[in-house]
Amino acid sequence: MGDTTDGTGALGVLLLADARLPTGAHAHSATLEAALAAGLRTEQIPDYIRARLRGVARAEAAAAVLALRAARENPVDFAPIQAALAARTPSRALRDASASLGRGLTRLARGLFPEHSAVAALATAPDDTPGLRVLRPIPLGALGAAFGMAVDQVARAALYDEAQCVAAAALKLRPGDPIAATRWVVDAAPDIEESVRVAVGATVPGDVPARSAPQLDRWAGAHAYSTRRLFVA
Amino acid sequence: MPENPTSTRALRLGVAGPVGTGKSSLIATLCRELAGELAMAVVTNDIYTDEDARFLRSAGVLDHERIHAVQTGACPHTAIRDDITANLDAVEDLELAFAPLDLVLVESGGDNLTATFSPALVDTQVFCLDVAGGGDVARKGGPGITSADLLVVNKSDLAPFVGVDVGRMVADGEKAREGRPVLALARSDTAAVERLCSWVRGVLADHREGRHTPRDPGPMAPHTHAVDGHEHGHGH
Repeated sequence: MGDTTDGTGALGVLLLADARLPTGAHAHSATLEAALAAGLRTEQIPDYIRARLRGVARAEAAAAVLALRAARENPVDFAPIQAALAARTPSRALRDASASLGRGLTRLARGLFPEHSAVAALATAPDDTPGLRVLRPIPLGALGAAFGMAVDQVARAALYDEAQCVAAAALKLRPGDPIAATRWVVDAAPDIEESVRVAVGATVPGDVPARSAPQLDRWAGAHAYSTRRLFVA
Repeated sequence: MPENPTSTRALRLGVAGPVGTGKSSLIATLCRELAGELAMAVVTNDIYTDEDARFLRSAGVLDHERIHAVQTGACPHTAIRDDITANLDAVEDLELAFAPLDLVLVESGGDNLTATFSPALVDTQVFCLDVAGGGDVARKGGPGITSADLLVVNKSDLAPFVGVDVGRMVADGEKAREGRPVLALARSDTAAVERLCSWVRGVLADHREGRHTPRDPGPMAPHTHAVDGHEHGHGH
């Protein structure tokens, strides 16, 4: 085994995992702010990360894998994937959060790769979900195609981002050691990899896992009406 | 989504400055004075609440739906400069919902002397100080004070009560700004309010005629970025 990779998609992996990427993610907490407001204790945050990785994030990772595969087809049609994910996200607040992040990623994709066929196809992705903007995994898949990323790379980027989103928000919401928060993400590696395996196994929109959590949906819904909040979602 | 600036889209005006210097009040004043002649909307960036949006709505100077609050994840500086996504989304939504708009005001979350808007978010920006924050602040400099398109020294009517010489503070600002305008302002000072409105009308006219180019105060002291090469260069 050589000591370098061939570099395919490697820059995309780094960019999509970078908190400095200008897509609006810094204003999101993956519903952690609402969970803490509802009584979740600081020591339960690692459990919360696991729950997100097995639920919302697994469904989004699978959708991102499907979107990347669709992005390599001709013509590109994201609409069934968007519809499948929307149908598996019963909480309007969580759909809105995903759409908010999707909007930022779409702006980035159009700015970086305006000529790419998958980026052009983002315009028709919401055709089967009237009133709902394109969800986060769809432009993630389109960007993955533009960068030449592999499906597991896109899935892992989606899942890592979820874990890091919670950890970073926790540091704003509760006192704590930033290294301890980083450890939560490192310790979540088995859960990330398990969800990567499930996600890359998705081959048709019906394979997107349906794993909504009623308690999480309720917290997310309450947060949308909170008038004292740091994070949009 | 209107992503490419053209002279037909609304002028986007940012108002930045430290907490409590009167940014919301300045925006309420602009709405009160200009809403009769211009189609306007406002985006606020509160830190923890939607207090600024509520204040503006309760001021009754603009329809509630034309005032949109965004959350910044405790990063008000980031949200107007390094990652302007949430603000661009809000501005574009307002421009679409109330087209055609003449003027969109973006109020930054109260931050510090280094927070200025990205030129990708606003076309022009006001930096707001106030006399109650201390007569020496204008001398302290920073990109907003030295290079914003307009520096406002607000609450000038309070100067006698806090022992600040407004004329001196304005002179300090002018000295730091190499000729860019400084305005002493108080809500009750009708002449100053009219000067503020005239400045906005002037920038809007330039924007419509294609004469206005957004310029960036920069994140740092002006000495480190003086290679912009156009008429607003710092000359040193």
